[in-house]
Amino acid sequence: MSGPRDKKKEPRKTKKDYELSRRTMLKLTAAAGAGTVLSPMILTSRKSTVYAQGTVAEPVLCAPTPVPQSPPHTPFVDNLPVPSPAIPQFLNPAPTQNANIAGGEAARDPHQRWAQFTPAVTYQLEAKAGTHQFHSDYLPSYIWGFNGQYPGPTILNAYGIPSLVRFKNSLPATTTSFGTNKTTVHLHNGHTASESDGFAGDFFDTGLFKDNHYANAYAGIDDFPGFPAGDPREGQYTYWYHDHLQAETANNNYLGMNGIYLSYDLKTPPWEFDTPGSLRLPAYFGLTDIPILLAQKRFCATDPLNGRTEAFQVVGAGAPSTDKFTANGKIQPKLSVRRRKYRFRFINSGVVLPFTLSLHGPDGAQKPMTVVASDGNLLRQPADVSATSTPNLLEVHVSSRMDVIIDFSQFTVGQSVYLKENTQTPQFVSSPTPPDPAPGVPIGTVVMRFDVVGNTIIPDTPPIPATLTELPPIPAASTPPFEWGFRFVAGRPNAFRVSHSSIPEDNASHVATDLPFDPFTPAHVVLRGSTEEWIIRNDTLAGNWLHPVHIHLEEGRILERSICTVPSATGCLPANRTVLPMPAWEDGNNARRDVYPVPGQHRLKIRLAFRDFVGRYLIHCHNMNHEDAFMMMRWDVVESMAELRKRREEINAERIAKGDTPLYTKEELG
Amino acid sequence: MKRRKFLTSLGSDKPSSALRAPVQGVPHVASPGPAIFTNARLRTHENKEVRFYDDLIKGKQVLINLMYATCEGTCPLITSNLVKVHKALKDRMGKDLFMYSITVKPEDDDPAALKDYAEMHNALLPGWTFLTGDPYDIDTIRYRLFNMNHILVDTDVYSHTSFLLIINDATNRWLHVDPQISLFGVLRKISWADPPKSREQVIEDNRKLQEKIDQERRMYGFRKTV
Repeated sequence: MSGPRDKKKEPRKTKKDYELSRRTMLKLTAAAGAGTVLSPMILTSRKSTVYAQGTVAEPVLCAPTPVPQSPPHTPFVDNLPVPSPAIPQFLNPAPTQNANIAGGEAARDPHQRWAQFTPAVTYQLEAKAGTHQFHSDYLPSYIWGFNGQYPGPTILNAYGIPSLVRFKNSLPATTTSFGTNKTTVHLHNGHTASESDGFAGDFFDTGLFKDNHYANAYAGIDDFPGFPAGDPREGQYTYWYHDHLQAETANNNYLGMNGIYLSYDLKTPPWEFDTPGSLRLPAYFGLTDIPILLAQKRFCATDPLNGRTEAFQVVGAGAPSTDKFTANGKIQPKLSVRRRKYRFRFINSGVVLPFTLSLHGPDGAQKPMTVVASDGNLLRQPADVSATSTPNLLEVHVSSRMDVIIDFSQFTVGQSVYLKENTQTPQFVSSPTPPDPAPGVPIGTVVMRFDVVGNTIIPDTPPIPATLTELPPIPAASTPPFEWGFRFVAGRPNAFRVSHSSIPEDNASHVATDLPFDPFTPAHVVLRGSTEEWIIRNDTLAGNWLHPVHIHLEEGRILERSICTVPSATGCLPANRTVLPMPAWEDGNNARRDVYPVPGQHRLKIRLAFRDFVGRYLIHCHNMNHEDAFMMMRWDVVESMAELRKRREEINAERIAKGDTPLYTKEELG
Repeated sequence: MKRRKFLTSLGSDKPSSALRAPVQGVPHVASPGPAIFTNARLRTHENKEVRFYDDLIKGKQVLINLMYATCEGTCPLITSNLVKVHKALKDRMGKDLFMYSITVKPEDDDPAALKDYAEMHNALLPGWTFLTGDPYDIDTIRYRLFNMNHILVDTDVYSHTSFLLIINDATNRWLHVDPQISLFGVLRKISWADPPKSREQVIEDNRKLQEKIDQERRMYGFRKTV
């Protein structure tokens, strides 16, 4: 940089010189934009050093045994951060329908419905190593994140405005045991074409990028050709995007490769004032509508010479056993709120355990939260979670999203309100354990604290409407149900396989010939435009792992949840099944889901329509180390009856060759 | 002058290579060594005493699985699949890639029993070693390397995990795969622990994959197997 003194010595510049330099400046800015624009580089010096270096040194991992205790922390020091919105940018090279191999794009199928939904907004998110400070008492930890941030930037969308996100893989070329430097990114649970859906086998190497095309249209595009396209009753509003690399999803997500994606429409616009069709829920992003990405972590002090550097703890091939909860990447943060309604979107980013939440006032009494959406779908009628409701706790299973509204006008200024986690082992805070912040609320169970700091400045929203949305009718299924079952098999607890309701339960097909995930062969093939009834059953005994099963592409409706009262090795007699009541955020008449929690001995009957796109999709347990090991299967959507018949015959033949019962009856072959 | 140059190098935004963070492609976190692997004295199926880390793991790319000679569950299938893996990678086996099968019932499986087992499964192959040892050492290795954090699996050797651990000690890369998936799937996972590919190789592999996809789309009308 030249100071004013040097300027005098320089030869006078002509107008052209200035134009040139201005143009060069613009070019430089554009070039730098790819890497820097999306993140709040100016805000924190630590993050900017990440960009200056280009590479962040990997930490030395702590030994897996004995499992170290995380360093202590002081509760309620940091404010709850809200992951900043991603900023749209032009992409160079421009996105193309066919993979731009010469330009460095990963191999893929051409985008479906590209001309119909030409992307109007484009983003670039770069997966790379960075650092993140999980608590002010801690030094920055090594993470992998989108744009080097954890959580990644939040992508804000509107129905009717198709978007495209370029996921660039800039993960370190050499890595240790921590994560795997390949990635494929799933938008959970976008109604997304297969080639943009982050199929677990469609990963790509460091140095390449991949464009994920999001139509931002409601499901049912062909039946509802209006604007925005699709059936507005199929609206989904809270999503998250995350790494879905086969067999390594747990590690990569634990390292931080996920972020939030929200959609708006005229029903739930990003404003609160009265506009036609608006539900007028709390809606100002980051002010009154706050997504909260929940996670569990464990840290270890790895650099005793120079203070310490906290690293994540990874134990063997299994699940990380954790002792800290994080909300938006902070341990026990606090949030200042005013006396009015707020919308919080809880997202459990895992890796394996459910959060079971309740809200407690300063007197320790449980206070109500109103659930308005489950897995991103508005409930037909909202439901309260309070001391007197059944259930009185809000379960947020891994990858599930639960939108709640909390009305802080029930509290007085100066009071503190606590979000409590009820089922997990309480986190380690410090030694000796600090006193309970409220009666009956041990400090270790508190995820975060809300501080009521004053009366509201932005006017409060009107009462929550009694009916939020009309749900599309549950479609009739075209075939008898297919079954996806968990069984306990030696060496692979809870093997997962597809079967058919017509196959007797004591048949070998239900037992031990199960295979782990194979991205190259589908377990089941369905026809685009058809509806099927699927049964998800967990035949392991109650008390074993609960499997939150996730199905890509479509939201489903739960028809029935039942429990087998007399479990046996040969399946469950119909007489021994008892139908269980379902909470309002599960019942198919009131809610739509894409994560189906199935505890041992439970059986869920769901109905799904397969619309708009074809290709390869997944059904899997979303406990991430479970899906990594074996609880994932590929299923395909095909376009024509002829193709369906051919593919189903292939699956039957393959099963017969293995000594298995064929999956499809003659009628089902089409 | 020298001092000035030094200061300039500190001030510039491109520090000298010595000051820069580790260069990509160079392993910057060393293997934990015996601290995790242990250096237990084990016996091979040829009744040779070996040190687990120093002789078998140090600086090598290795595949490790658990078995026991009388296992009738998934072990025989896994062993036969591993024979296929060995065949597919036989050019590398014993040179830069090694396979170790560790018995989880060392009290029953002496070196001779392991040799019989290997013979029976046509697994007496170069670069593939069956190992037994002191039960305490074997249990330590099993718990440290194959921990599933699942009480039923971790405490019961009979439901030992079927994972194949893939470890490249030179780059400290750890992965695991279930050897019961397709051979191609297993080989692909093993390749993830190979030394990093060059930029040119990544681009070339990506181009080939797209060719395969396009070929399948022409043949079947959709992407079928890749």
